[in-house]
Amino acid sequence: MRLTRRDLLVSTAAAALAGARADLSSAQEQPKRGGTLSVHLPGEQRILNPAIRASTGVYVVTSKIVESLVDLDADGKPLPVLATSWEATPDGKTVTFKLREGVNWHDGKPFTAADVQYTALELWKKYLNYGTQLQQYLEAVDTPDSLTAVFHYTRPMPLPLLLRALADLGYIVPRHVFEGTNILENPANNAPIGTGPFKFVQYERGQFIIAERNPNYWRKDFPYLDKIVWRVIADKSAASAALETGQIQLSTYSSLSLADYDRLKKDARFEVSSRGIEANAFNNTLEFNVRRKELSDVRVRRAIAHAIDVPFFIENFLYGQGRPATGPIPSSSPAFYPGGDVPYAHDLRKAEALLEEAGYKRGPDGTRFALKIVPIQNGEDVPLLATYIQQSLGKLGIKVDIVNLDIAGALSAVYRDWNFDLATGWHQYRGDPAVSTTVWYRSGSPKGAPWTNQWGWQSDAVDKLIDEAASELDAEKRKRLYADWVKQINEELPIWMVTERQFIAATSRRVQNHHTSPRWDSGDWHDTWIS
Amino acid sequence: MRFFLFAVRRLAASVPTLLLVLAGLFMLLQFAPGDTVDALVAQMGGGDSAMMDQLRKYYGLDATATVQLIRYLTRLVRLDLGFSAIYGKPVIDVILERLPTTLLLMASALSFAFAGGLALGVVAARRVNQWPDGVISTIGAIFYATPAFWLGLMGIIIFAVNLHWLPAGGIEEIGTGYTGLRRAVDIVWHLALPTATLGLIFLATYLRIMRASMLEVMTLDFVRTARAKGLAQGTVLRRHVLRNALLPMVTLVGLQAGTMLGGSVVVESVFALPGLGRLAYEAVVQRDLNTLLGIVFVSALLVICVNFLVDILYARLDPRIAN
Amino acid sequence: MQTLTRFLGNPVALIGLSLFLLVAAMALSAGSLFPNDPLDLAGRPLQWPLGNPRFWLGTDVQGRDIAAVIFHGARVSLLIGVVATLISMTIGVLIGALAGYYGGLIDEMLMRLTEAFQTLPNFLLLLVLVAVFGSDIKTVTIAIGLVSWPASARLTRAEFLTLRSREFVEACRTIGMRDIQIIFREILPNAMPPVIVYASVVMAIAILLESALAFLNLSDPNVPSWGNLIGGGRAVLRTQWYVSAIPGVAILMTVLAVSLIGQGLNDALNPRLKRR
Repeated sequence: MRLTRRDLLVSTAAAALAGARADLSSAQEQPKRGGTLSVHLPGEQRILNPAIRASTGVYVVTSKIVESLVDLDADGKPLPVLATSWEATPDGKTVTFKLREGVNWHDGKPFTAADVQYTALELWKKYLNYGTQLQQYLEAVDTPDSLTAVFHYTRPMPLPLLLRALADLGYIVPRHVFEGTNILENPANNAPIGTGPFKFVQYERGQFIIAERNPNYWRKDFPYLDKIVWRVIADKSAASAALETGQIQLSTYSSLSLADYDRLKKDARFEVSSRGIEANAFNNTLEFNVRRKELSDVRVRRAIAHAIDVPFFIENFLYGQGRPATGPIPSSSPAFYPGGDVPYAHDLRKAEALLEEAGYKRGPDGTRFALKIVPIQNGEDVPLLATYIQQSLGKLGIKVDIVNLDIAGALSAVYRDWNFDLATGWHQYRGDPAVSTTVWYRSGSPKGAPWTNQWGWQSDAVDKLIDEAASELDAEKRKRLYADWVKQINEELPIWMVTERQFIAATSRRVQNHHTSPRWDSGDWHDTWIS
Repeated sequence: MRFFLFAVRRLAASVPTLLLVLAGLFMLLQFAPGDTVDALVAQMGGGDSAMMDQLRKYYGLDATATVQLIRYLTRLVRLDLGFSAIYGKPVIDVILERLPTTLLLMASALSFAFAGGLALGVVAARRVNQWPDGVISTIGAIFYATPAFWLGLMGIIIFAVNLHWLPAGGIEEIGTGYTGLRRAVDIVWHLALPTATLGLIFLATYLRIMRASMLEVMTLDFVRTARAKGLAQGTVLRRHVLRNALLPMVTLVGLQAGTMLGGSVVVESVFALPGLGRLAYEAVVQRDLNTLLGIVFVSALLVICVNFLVDILYARLDPRIAN
Repeated sequence: MQTLTRFLGNPVALIGLSLFLLVAAMALSAGSLFPNDPLDLAGRPLQWPLGNPRFWLGTDVQGRDIAAVIFHGARVSLLIGVVATLISMTIGVLIGALAGYYGGLIDEMLMRLTEAFQTLPNFLLLLVLVAVFGSDIKTVTIAIGLVSWPASARLTRAEFLTLRSREFVEACRTIGMRDIQIIFREILPNAMPPVIVYASVVMAIAILLESALAFLNLSDPNVPSWGNLIGGGRAVLRTQWYVSAIPGVAILMTVLAVSLIGQGLNDALNPRLKRR
């Protein structure tokens, strides 16, 4: 077969094109070094130390500077960071962590097991909210060598629970900076020193925080970015304006208004989604003060639940962002989600019947009784739900008054003074029910502890289930125990989880390699770059 | 020397008032539901009671209200404003960081309002009951009636979001490291909308006062005499009328000094400016008593200073008062 | 009577009066035009004005009929304005009258109190009062009254200082009138004109203060107020800006009406200035 000139031309062209295409695609995959990522910071934290303050508001900044023992990988499994491997004894009371070699703090000193020992015993156990509870049975941390830390517990600690929780509650800070000082007044709380890909540079209160690339980071050739700037913008409209004018490239954890997220979704310059934030689910709650005579009757509580048209609320007030909840464990937590239907669907007739059955008839003006609702203002949707509940219960003959307090006043009114009939706020699920969820139901929390059982309700059966599950080492058995627990609490309904929601982030499409793990916004961003 | 003594005497006379204000506010805030630890825990998203008790002890909140007040006043006498619960820094540092922004905003808004009100008031008075007067007075009345936050929001929508002429918020571009003139220009550009918002509303008041004052003075005997002597309208205006008409304007500056700080709370919130107004709002919401009282203290000092300067200016303008 | 004629002959005053009557008409007809609870869910949220024939001003973030809230809100705004002004003027006039009449130590003490309230920025004090005593409408109204009395106190005191040395007061004292009678029956009626004019300023300020509080979500959500509408519309400002714009115009109109009436009153009571 003779190659015609045309054949030659065509094949050369094809080869050239293929080559060029290969170059192009590899050019697109090639991360660009340098550049500054500007991030929205909606509010300021008093203390920027993740070893004593567990909060997404802290992680958004400090997790790029300070690192934890583990993080989560793209599938939500534990990813070795400062700990390279782990092992638990069969009785669950000893967990051994092997630590990473060749890691240095930003001030040059080496990272060793002594730092882990100090942080765990002095900070996590004594100061860290949720950490004190997680580590309450931690009695000692041994350091047989400079890269091994052995955790000794007096009660069995399920390893999956510990690892999942350590992603948030396992940050390590330098012993030589904190030992012997007044922990709460240590200046490193506002100028964090860590082992992470970025070094702290400056914190201008009310304005911005700046962190720069760490040239001695243990992950060689990372990070890609030169600088990260967090801009303090408290006002939501100002923040979305800043995103649109390019002053910031990222706003996460639902810091913009729902309406703006809805609008920005249609803007091709941004990605607006819950991708990469699956680890932090939350519910809108409806909390009952069971001490109130009317609310002590479970039929009344169920009637109230039946009176709220949750799908309508989600569709019209949350722009469709969310779904009705089946309980406090969200569907994004496959390890524990028990499935099932929504326990109390919208059914006004059933609600009326339950109230009549409970003996609360309508008065001459149509009212059965009156209640006060206290919104605990974690987000803009809380007052919306409070109003919607007011409107819905009004149809049922229950007159509801909204008591408008700022958040300190609301927390104190509900959880300390018990001065409420209904309350609505957020419940945040942190990867495992034992971290911050079961405490909403278990009895025994002292007065004044927020987001705990202060409803005047308790159940021995539920307490027993919670305690058993917290120390159960078999993962399957644990899941079943929690499934039983959800069934029980849905029946008794001391509080009702109204919706199940994910946080939303708006990211400029110029940012690459973002939201690649379930808690990416609280991660270290070492492989993020800007095109 | 006499001047200095006068100043000190003035300051000393205000001390009992200041103490009354601070003590009163302190006791009032004791009745607010929730304290600074509740606000801190709210910010963190959770906390156990052992930690909260420890924090309460740390902040000195476990003592009775009277004891806390005495502690506060003893510190105040040494000019120690205490420690800010929100920022973990001495209150004086926090305030000094935020003071420049608020001073800048207030000074620019005040200058804009004063100058604009003066000029427009003169024009309106000279053309009283003719169409320039009507237009100016109407626009003035409308701006006076406009809620500041609404005006600010509309300004952002029009000038920042739609026209892209001005920034949507902040005091300057961060991370750019501008210095000197470039930085000053950047700050001016960022302060344009907030100043216009605050300024336009106060301008309406100054305009009205200036107009009324001018009209009042222009009917007085000595002005008619000056005109009868044959002096030109312009000279009469400048040499005789203006000086006297300025008096109520100057008094107004003193009266409004306190109001401006209140107005700046909302404007700073809308434009995300790091000033004292927003700091005060944060201090109330987070129950940071030390910071709030510190701000009141500083603002009271400011008001006293402004009123003092006003009195001096007044004496200069009206020689009858100087004695 | 002459004052009334002068007032009605002033175009500025007439505009103010007509605007005010418009707002009052809205308040009075609210019950008949919009018989349902204005805070109820009326329809799908965030519908544009004129989009749905049922809602000619659209619906807000919570599915409420904006027109209903505007009309019922007129009642609330006027009520807050009037009550807060009454509280403020009562306190102010009382303190000013006592201080101006008696002088001496009483004057000194009362003026210190007034100065104390004036040193504190009034919006800050309002924030504190609301944080301490709560956000329900009665508390908010009283709080607004409490932060705006100093200026009327000073005004009243100044009037009393000039008037108390007049001959007619001397005459009253000679015939044995009691102080209380002199203060309230003789001097006060003469001192009132500038004070009444100032009342319009106080009312304007009261309405603006309540709307600022509502904007910061610190007012009473159980009451249909214009400020609450603006605050609620803040979240959707970029797209459904009408939710905040419409009540803003309503506030503007009402405050304008009140201040124009005040200006008209001022001009009517001081006819000298009108002579051109």
